[in-house]
Amino acid sequence: MTDRPSRPGGLNRRKFLYGTAAATTVAASTKLFAPAVQAQEAPTLRYLGTAVNQSAEIAAKVKEDLGITIEYIPVTTDEVTRRVVTQPNTFDLVDIEYMSLKNVVPTGNLKGMDTSKITQADNITTLFTEGTIDGQPVGDQGTAPKKVIWLPGEEATDFATEPTGFMSLIPTVYNADTLGIRPDLIGRPIESWAELLNPEFKGKASILNIPSIGIMDAALVVEALGEHQYADKGNMTRDEIDLTIETLIEAKRAGQFRALWQDFNESVNLMASGEVVIQSMWSPAVTAVRTQGIECKYQPLKEGYRAWAAGFGLPATIDGRQQDAAYEFINWFLSGWAGAFLNRQGYYSAVLGTAKENMEAYEWAYWMEGAAAEQDIMSPSGQLLAKAGEVRDGGSYQDRLGAISCWNAVMDENVYMVRKWNEFVAS
Amino acid sequence: MTTTEQATGTPPIAEGRAHTALVTPQSDAAALHGVKRRVSLLDRPYALAGPLILVMAIFFVGPLILTIIVSFWEYTQYSIEPAMVVTNYVDVFDRCIARLPTLCVTFATYLSTLKFCFIVWAITLILGFTLAWFIVFEVKKTSTQIALFLLCTIPFWTSNVIRMMAWIPLLGRNGLVNQTLMSMGLISEPQEWLLYSDFAVILAFIHLYTMFMMVPIVNSMMRIDREILEAARDAGASIWTIAMSVVAPLCRPGIVIGSIFVITIVMGDYITVGVMGGQQIASVGKTIQVQMQYLQFPIAAANAVVLLGAVLMIIFAMTKLVDVRREL
Amino acid sequence: MNERGRRFYILAGIFTLFVLFLYGPMFAIFALSFQGPEGGLTFPMRGFSTHWFAELWKGVGVVDIWAAFYRSLRLGAVVAGLTLAISLPAALAYRLGFRGATLLFYTVIASLIVPSIVVSLGIGLEFRLFDDWVKEFVTGHQTSTGLFTSALGAHLTWTLPFGLLILLAAFNRFDRRYEEAARDLGASPWQTLWLVILPIIAPSLIGIALFGFTLSWDELARTSQAIGGRNTLPLELRGLTQTVTTPAVYALGTMVTGVSLAVIGVSLLAITVMGRARARRSR
Repeated sequence: MTDRPSRPGGLNRRKFLYGTAAATTVAASTKLFAPAVQAQEAPTLRYLGTAVNQSAEIAAKVKEDLGITIEYIPVTTDEVTRRVVTQPNTFDLVDIEYMSLKNVVPTGNLKGMDTSKITQADNITTLFTEGTIDGQPVGDQGTAPKKVIWLPGEEATDFATEPTGFMSLIPTVYNADTLGIRPDLIGRPIESWAELLNPEFKGKASILNIPSIGIMDAALVVEALGEHQYADKGNMTRDEIDLTIETLIEAKRAGQFRALWQDFNESVNLMASGEVVIQSMWSPAVTAVRTQGIECKYQPLKEGYRAWAAGFGLPATIDGRQQDAAYEFINWFLSGWAGAFLNRQGYYSAVLGTAKENMEAYEWAYWMEGAAAEQDIMSPSGQLLAKAGEVRDGGSYQDRLGAISCWNAVMDENVYMVRKWNEFVAS
Repeated sequence: MTTTEQATGTPPIAEGRAHTALVTPQSDAAALHGVKRRVSLLDRPYALAGPLILVMAIFFVGPLILTIIVSFWEYTQYSIEPAMVVTNYVDVFDRCIARLPTLCVTFATYLSTLKFCFIVWAITLILGFTLAWFIVFEVKKTSTQIALFLLCTIPFWTSNVIRMMAWIPLLGRNGLVNQTLMSMGLISEPQEWLLYSDFAVILAFIHLYTMFMMVPIVNSMMRIDREILEAARDAGASIWTIAMSVVAPLCRPGIVIGSIFVITIVMGDYITVGVMGGQQIASVGKTIQVQMQYLQFPIAAANAVVLLGAVLMIIFAMTKLVDVRREL
Repeated sequence: MNERGRRFYILAGIFTLFVLFLYGPMFAIFALSFQGPEGGLTFPMRGFSTHWFAELWKGVGVVDIWAAFYRSLRLGAVVAGLTLAISLPAALAYRLGFRGATLLFYTVIASLIVPSIVVSLGIGLEFRLFDDWVKEFVTGHQTSTGLFTSALGAHLTWTLPFGLLILLAAFNRFDRRYEEAARDLGASPWQTLWLVILPIIAPSLIGIALFGFTLSWDELARTSQAIGGRNTLPLELRGLTQTVTTPAVYALGTMVTGVSLAVIGVSLLAITVMGRARARRSR
């Protein structure tokens, strides 16, 4: 392009300029594609997901154990869904929430995962496959994983109701969410979701501004206030949406909320800075506040928890070596090291047995059995999370997950709900 | 106010008659000097503007047309389907007429956005003009001028994502400002309106966009002949008169362009309003963003088209007051 | 003279206050980046150390922040260069005038107006259609979205309006007599451009390059849907906010600011020293 014989006059100088620019651009973009070419030797997996599950430690360990290079693409929760729907060619592996599946599976952009290739498939917790813990059914309002985990085949655009050989996502991590509080600034016990709208905390409360999740927290509050009993908080009727949003608008007009939060980090800052004393929160956010030496409690409430779950999915276009590498990575992920890593952060792993083998007995007892810590509990990065003698908020695995009231969900009336939520924000 | 610059300086771009303009310059010159010259690339406007036209066509007009097409499509939670319906536009203006004088969500949102837009525009204009004056007329050395410019640019090299986080420790209950004021005894308890309020939103806008107003004004001011100012002063004009009736009119292109920058950016913003308003203040951009989050592209596209229309109307109204194209 | 002095100090005062205001959030960032290992993102300060600079050096744990940093740096430089290389000839075209000039002008304005996120989505959709089309012919083609294709284009739709408008304003008050004089003296159009026009509008050109880089460096919304696989720095940081964010990001802010100030200070000093030396020599 640039080695064309140059003609005299002004023209060629400009040609040259543009030629160089174009050549630079081409060179830069081929460099960009280079890793995909090198994948012939050592596979690289482009791992799309939220930063929550992406850690340098896991990537380093995978490199060491399997020789696979993990290239993280950290984006926000909504962004994950959007990229899967609009840019399905830009990743090899996606870590996505189960609730998004109702939006993603119908697009055909995800490939059903063959459970026969998953070594630990039979040991995946029954919470996902059947919706039970120790044979006891768990609350299944909303998009409970058991409703969306099975697909009829590899190329599916809808869900199967019965277990098949194909999973939509292989579960990685899940948890039960509740309200976070600053016990030092509140100074009395908090037992119900209704406290979120208690005028006592006027100007010091917050709720998250992610409509599909925020409205469920609001629904838990409405139920706790005794104003309405929902048939399914994760799938409201229009009237129920109106009622819930009306409650929120009233509270907002009365100045109940200091702010709404949009991302994990904002929730940590609001709490740590004392702007807010009670709010919807995610468990690692509570941990983050605590590691700053600030008292913060992940308060179990009598109405129960709102749960969520995430898992690995594959893009429909993946095949060959990349696909083998992805399965290899997922099998490694379920084999215990990563599970232990997640459990130590306060999440739960999908295959409990293998994770247990990779944890110290005292750690397992604190995180999973609700026992008092025998010695100081450290985070994977070495920060003190709990002193010896402390007990995990909410207790054991069975106690916490058994008390699930509903799951993060995408409603049938989602379009209407989003419109009403915008009204709430604008009010 | 008539100056030599104005008399000769304004090129006749506005009457862009392509064919005449294409031929005139070099034929004039050739005729004048009796020299035969090849047609230079510099005399061919389409070749010169070609790259711009190309980039705009591929990366803006194409996507925009797609957006407009999509705004007439139907959508479900997971798919968008080709159609030719106006329901998305009807939804945007849902109950807007029926419920008057109570403002519907869309009108209320636009009103709030326009309010921010006007306040921010007025403040950045005055501030930008003052700062530009200082840099251009009061600072004499070019190197100092450049240094001051860079000094103002450096904060923008720390990503806005990080700077936005820093407003809490600055303006929050326990923030620097409140602590400073309290230790000085000016206030007895933390002021809560500093953060998550209209005030905070406006403050952040001014913080982000004053430069957008200042730079074009500086550009225009640099071109003003200082002798004109001297002449005006010699004629006994006060500094205010000089500023308002000599400098300001000569800076009109800069002011217009700065205004276009500020107005368009504020109208489309969603991040600043979101973060500084504690997510409790609506903006048009935010509405679009939420709809896109939920993959409701058609209604988001319809909203975007309405927003584009609204902003173009504002710009158009401005051109009625000031002929932008002639000013440029 | 007296009145003039007073005006200088008043205006200098306003300017100083404005700079202080611009740096307001930076002061919080500076202070908080020097916290101890238990530090958070808000006051009060918890401990004092350079721990977070060490963390930053290691790459902030979760993601490879330096890779994103250099990606954004490269992209910003390319965007700045292309913005100049495209908007300058376009502005020259406007001096000649051409059919469709007004249409192009309003298209460029519209490119500024349309909400970034919508432009981004449109580009994302467009590239997806293009990919599907390419796949018909090229087996194994994955995606043509990327840093120097779709993202670059998205950034240009943002920086070009600034470039063009600033140049139009610069040319507006441009005295054509300089050019005519040059031409009368027998300069070719290129010589006129190179020796007469460019030096006069040089400050605007520097401004555009600076603007182009800064806008690209900090761009978030327009990139989000058009980036393809690898993130730019702002997107990477935005992704980081989904998990525990440490004062390491503040350390990044402190470092960027510190290095920029140092580089500019040193170059200014060099210019002054060189200028003095030259003045002495010529004396």
